[in-house]
Amino acid sequence: MTGRRILLVVQRYGADVVGGSEQHARLVAQRLAQRHTVEIATTTAADYWTWAPYYPAGDDFLDSILIRRFPIAAGRDPEFKAFEHHVLEEEHHVADELAWTTRQGPDCPELLEFLHAHGQEYDAIVFYTYIYAPTALGLPIVPERAALISTAHDEYPLRLAPYRALFHLPRAIGYLTPEERAMVHARFHNEQVPDEVLGYALGDAPPADVEAFRARHGIAGPFVLYLGQVSEGKGCDELINEWIAHREAGGAADLTLVLAGTVRMALPDRPDVRALGRVSEEDKAAALAGAQVLVQPSRLESLGIVLFEAWQYGTPALVHAANPVTAGQTARAGAGRSYADTMFGAALDAVRAERERYGRSGRAYVERECSYAAFDERLERLVEATVRA
Amino acid sequence: MRDRPSVLVVVQRYGDVSGGAEAHARELVTHLRPYADLAVATTTAADYWTWENVYTAGIDAVDGVPVHRFPVESGRARDFRLREHRAFAKVHPLAAEDAFVRAQGPVAPELLEHLRRFGRDFDAVLFFTYIYYPTVNGLPLVPERAVLVPTAHDEPALRLSVYRRLFHAPRAFAFNSVEERQLIHRTFANERIPGDVVGVGVDVPADRDGARFRARFGIDGPYLLYLGRIVESKGCGTLFDHFLRWQRSGGSTAATLVLAGRGEPEMPVPPDPRIRHVGALSGQQKFDALAGASALVMPSLLESLSMVTLEAWAAERPVVVDARSPVLSSMAARAGAGLAYRSWMEFAEIAELLVTDAALGDRLGRSGARFVEATYTWPVVVEKYRDLFAEVAARNS
Repeated sequence: MTGRRILLVVQRYGADVVGGSEQHARLVAQRLAQRHTVEIATTTAADYWTWAPYYPAGDDFLDSILIRRFPIAAGRDPEFKAFEHHVLEEEHHVADELAWTTRQGPDCPELLEFLHAHGQEYDAIVFYTYIYAPTALGLPIVPERAALISTAHDEYPLRLAPYRALFHLPRAIGYLTPEERAMVHARFHNEQVPDEVLGYALGDAPPADVEAFRARHGIAGPFVLYLGQVSEGKGCDELINEWIAHREAGGAADLTLVLAGTVRMALPDRPDVRALGRVSEEDKAAALAGAQVLVQPSRLESLGIVLFEAWQYGTPALVHAANPVTAGQTARAGAGRSYADTMFGAALDAVRAERERYGRSGRAYVERECSYAAFDERLERLVEATVRA
Repeated sequence: MRDRPSVLVVVQRYGDVSGGAEAHARELVTHLRPYADLAVATTTAADYWTWENVYTAGIDAVDGVPVHRFPVESGRARDFRLREHRAFAKVHPLAAEDAFVRAQGPVAPELLEHLRRFGRDFDAVLFFTYIYYPTVNGLPLVPERAVLVPTAHDEPALRLSVYRRLFHAPRAFAFNSVEERQLIHRTFANERIPGDVVGVGVDVPADRDGARFRARFGIDGPYLLYLGRIVESKGCGTLFDHFLRWQRSGGSTAATLVLAGRGEPEMPVPPDPRIRHVGALSGQQKFDALAGASALVMPSLLESLSMVTLEAWAAERPVVVDARSPVLSSMAARAGAGLAYRSWMEFAEIAELLVTDAALGDRLGRSGARFVEATYTWPVVVEKYRDLFAEVAARNS
């Protein structure tokens, strides 16, 4: 393979790893490997909370890409919750903030030593996720060849000491969305660092057999889809409250709310709310294609890949206005609406009323912005901005 | 930005302490006072080697400027030389570098806490010297308003991984010389960060009298002058060797090597009547000594900016430098005010020329004065800092 020699550093990497940033990292590695020599430097962990060793240390391969796995010296501090509370909520010392990255984990000193000893052998080193130790402690070792893909949202840890310089150091930054870029610039005043808004890329939409899906799950009539982990953290409790309020006010009488994803909260027992649990890829495609509207109530998405997937099938989105990222994406694509609190029902009716128009617009947006060609072009600009002249 | 920016100066020691960077910081603060609201954050140390707690922790005032002193939790480690040796080895772990920075001192965590809490209250934070703990750990807490005065020269520490972040994080640099800027850009490829060659201003009295110096110390005939610590690391061994070889070779003009500087010699001075150690000089005496000298000799190899070289030029005297010193030889060439030697024979040739051809020395000296005038005067320096502070404020607004 010709082109540049690129190392991608990320806290977890592998076929069994679940997570938005990690999914993005794998996509970027695959796309870069079409044109460059790509390696991954990561840890042996698969779980983002414990960082418990899962993969063996040493060399591994995935998608024909070399993965260098370095052992975890320590997982997340068992007292991390209490420590987090202390740092985020109480009077504390700069030493506490500086300890944050190591106590949060993954503490992986051999990965840092690798960057120190071999970082100079790469033309560019792409670091994923600002918050974890491999990036926070690793990027400052090789700033002159580093690209940061921060996947940041506006959260308290962004204010901590280890991150004050991180956004000023790299040669270039890849943001996921224009909203992330604006938020980081407002906080750090790091406009001098060249950047690229990367977005996401999707292959062709998988075939969807909606009738088979309906038959399998006994779903008749039009439905609204939520796809993802069903939890309070994702805003599903608020969604259900909004749903019930709307129904009780006489709205959406013909609709069912279908929740597809692992359920981690209590749900009301009602015929118009159906929880399917985690679904297969086939069901996922069919659910996206068959839904009237995809609803995304989360306030903390830093990209919202599921919106792009829905738009591929011409299904419009209904997103919470409190999340600037998904609200911004939806507005840019002209592919749905955002709702503020209590306006859920009206917004839902409005999206349904113009489903065709919103859906067409969403599909066109994904074809234009999320094609491999468009994504590769953005990635190449990031790589070229990163490589030393 | 307000007309008067607020500026915090961070430096490892401050007050009546010796040391180039520390004196530089204090002089700069004095000259910036009419244009900025200044405060200093430093340690309780006075000695750059031990970092022993000498000053009282808390708020002090120096030259009417508030100085916040923070305690040194640990000074230079007893095994510093070992730590240094390990970190400077060609192949070494990252952990050895962290150990080196701590062992070097002064470790002052409360200074970092001060920067975390209050650093952002200032329009700009000016860090002096890249190498010590306060800058290494303090600058990354306020990168968006940091101006770094690196005072770097080409030395092993500059190639450690632990320092790389420092040269990519600040908002701007204030370099001491064109040569230092080239070194930093070459080493770190950080041209993106704005910076200017600023240095310091040189004040030179109009009244300079070589005869007064000769009379006071009983020196006859032509002499070469050395100003500074008498120590091997400043190149004094080479200087003594070259000077005596020149004097002992046939046909050389008889001359004296005058050594002046604070403190006892830190190496043996050859017992030869042609080498005279006159001890510490007052400011006036120093310029009298320069006025009477055929040339100033600067044998040091590792300088980021030589104050005495600038003073000699400001006093219209030429400077003899070692060609292996990249900064001094390049500055001397740019200034058209110095001659560089590669061997004792070249040293002898240059020295002979300068003690016999007074017109040549005067011509070189006047060229040096013009060079200093263009860059190294306080009005120029202050103006450049005000521009840098304005740039920093603009980027953070």
